[in-house]
Amino acid sequence: MPFPSPGSDTASPSSRLPSPLQNAVSGVHEPLPARVEAALWRGHQLGGPVDESLSTGFAALDAVLPGGGWPCGSLTEILVPQFSVVELRLLLPVLGALTTARRAVALVGPPMDPHIPGLRHDCIHERHLIWSDVDTPKDRLWSTEQLVRSRKCGAVVAWLPHVRAENVRRLQVLASQCTGPVILCRPNSAARDASAAPLRLLARYETDWQIAIDVLKRKGPPLDEQLHLLSFPGGVQKIMTPRLRYYSRLRHRPSHVVVSTAAAAVHHRSEAPETSEH
Amino acid sequence: MAVWALQFTPRVTILEDAVLMEVEASVRLFGGKRALRDRVVAEAEELGVAQAAWAPTGLAALALARCGIENGFKKPLQERLDKLPMGCLSAVREHEVTLAQTGCRTLSDVRRLPRGGLSRRFGKLMLLALDQAYGQVTESYRWEILPDTFKAKLELGFRVEHAPALLQGARRLLVQMCGWLCASHCGTTAFTLKWWHDAMRPRDAGDSGQLTVGTAQPSRDIEHLCRLLAEHLAKVTLLAPAGDLELTADVVHDLAGTNASLLPDAVEDGESLELVLERMAARLGPQAVKRCVVCEDHRQEWVAHWQPVGAPMPRKAASTTELPQPTWVLREPIKLAVRKDRPFYQGELQLLAGPQCIEGGWWDRDEAAGHGRNIVRDYWLAESEHAGLLWIFKARLDDGIGWFLHGVFG
Repeated sequence: MPFPSPGSDTASPSSRLPSPLQNAVSGVHEPLPARVEAALWRGHQLGGPVDESLSTGFAALDAVLPGGGWPCGSLTEILVPQFSVVELRLLLPVLGALTTARRAVALVGPPMDPHIPGLRHDCIHERHLIWSDVDTPKDRLWSTEQLVRSRKCGAVVAWLPHVRAENVRRLQVLASQCTGPVILCRPNSAARDASAAPLRLLARYETDWQIAIDVLKRKGPPLDEQLHLLSFPGGVQKIMTPRLRYYSRLRHRPSHVVVSTAAAAVHHRSEAPETSEH
Repeated sequence: MAVWALQFTPRVTILEDAVLMEVEASVRLFGGKRALRDRVVAEAEELGVAQAAWAPTGLAALALARCGIENGFKKPLQERLDKLPMGCLSAVREHEVTLAQTGCRTLSDVRRLPRGGLSRRFGKLMLLALDQAYGQVTESYRWEILPDTFKAKLELGFRVEHAPALLQGARRLLVQMCGWLCASHCGTTAFTLKWWHDAMRPRDAGDSGQLTVGTAQPSRDIEHLCRLLAEHLAKVTLLAPAGDLELTADVVHDLAGTNASLLPDAVEDGESLELVLERMAARLGPQAVKRCVVCEDHRQEWVAHWQPVGAPMPRKAASTTELPQPTWVLREPIKLAVRKDRPFYQGELQLLAGPQCIEGGWWDRDEAAGHGRNIVRDYWLAESEHAGLLWIFKARLDDGIGWFLHGVFG
């Protein structure tokens, strides 16, 4: 299409078109009818109609998730650098709430044996906890699929170290029929790959009883800030002392070095008050 | 076949080469004529029924089935029957040749002949059959009685060499068994599939093999039993090609049917969780799907006992310690490296809280290994910058003191 040469024709076709700015919101804000407003989704809001969700037990995390909690009938991925370190801490509150409500919770292929005396501190009742002890990727996927398909589980948590994108997509389709959240724990190397899960979190261990959460994907605008959630697993809060609460401060204190000579001990004692001030 | 039909109505009889059911009284129970017909036709097809038909009278239904017509209610019965050829009623077929020579083609032609002459020439039975088919004389049958036990045999149309392929034939038997269970208001918890090898088998194969499938709860759900059998058959290797199948219901329990509700309530859709877990255990092995039973023990290895899901749970759970405990445990403690008297696991460990001293088990002895299970351990909560919060213990070894990793607070 030939472009009009600049300057030859001042009334170019584009200048005759109405400016797109006329559609922009002018200074005078016309309020929308309440019915329209309720059905409207604006770009800056947390989006996506989530039918149902379960509170995560962490207020800060609830605030950034669409629907205000773990979405039911949908897939959620938790990516971790190393299995068994933080992912269960993140899930303990919701699993406790579900088993208290007599809903079954299934763990598929967890990295270690679940330990009931520790889980009981978070109100998880062993009667409603099912451990599917499978190892091969095929069995893990098959067990997860069967449990999700049954629609009778309050929650399904599956550890899938090796899973292909099409299998995740398949699970997401199946999960839409499930009544509870379906949570996949995957290694953080999967963060680079695309996934069909509508919600993806990256969880890392952090000192002083915290878990660092990056929301990699959610329905709504991307979240840049990192969340720091406080979690005391296995009933540690019952023996909590101020010293134990901030244990990172202990880390570099020389009092933990085994001191052999008396001179060093004197030196350390004179130094100790200084370090504790920091 | 008749056994299968007994689930729909108690009035079932074998009429010549067909099975006849009187279902008028069962129509409401099965949700209307259309629903009942769909169910009967679908299941009959699996059983290998050539043609199903229904009509106001039994003989008319048989005649329609022989002519390949399914619905005898669409038009008035007389109109329907009049057009049928003579051969479709066996009492008339006996005299088909003679009647054809008199110019008869259809049933209506026969009925138009004078009754007195017909009765003298061909006997009363033919007239009676005609009248019964047209509903002018009542029919009477000897109804089938439900057998006390279920045992059904099936000869396969072809030799089967792989066990999973037996399922196709076994399903036909399962449909029969579920019909029998339904008619006797029972559910089965164990059934046996037996197969006979054909004559061309190797000498060491034996003449038959069998597989017993058990379920935790009594069931007569075809789909569930079929899937369960499929999982079990997947693990079986046939020693020789099989030609015949036999299915028996071994253990049978009373099982009431589900109550149909007047109001459309929140229907439990999908199969129950127990059925799913059972199928998973059938495929992956009983130890692959577990629930926990807590025991009164403070030694970490023996406080929790994981049992297969089918096993009964104790009514009252044992209590456990109020002190912090890890959420994950290792099956076998890992010995940690020690440098400068400090344990290492993915970096240096920092001891946060402890010790929790666990000592006990002198009464417990592992007979197989021949040593006691007495333990003396000091447990600590330790932190590693990479591996998180760990549950480690210090124990006395033959050559000094050793540190072990036994769990994770994760």
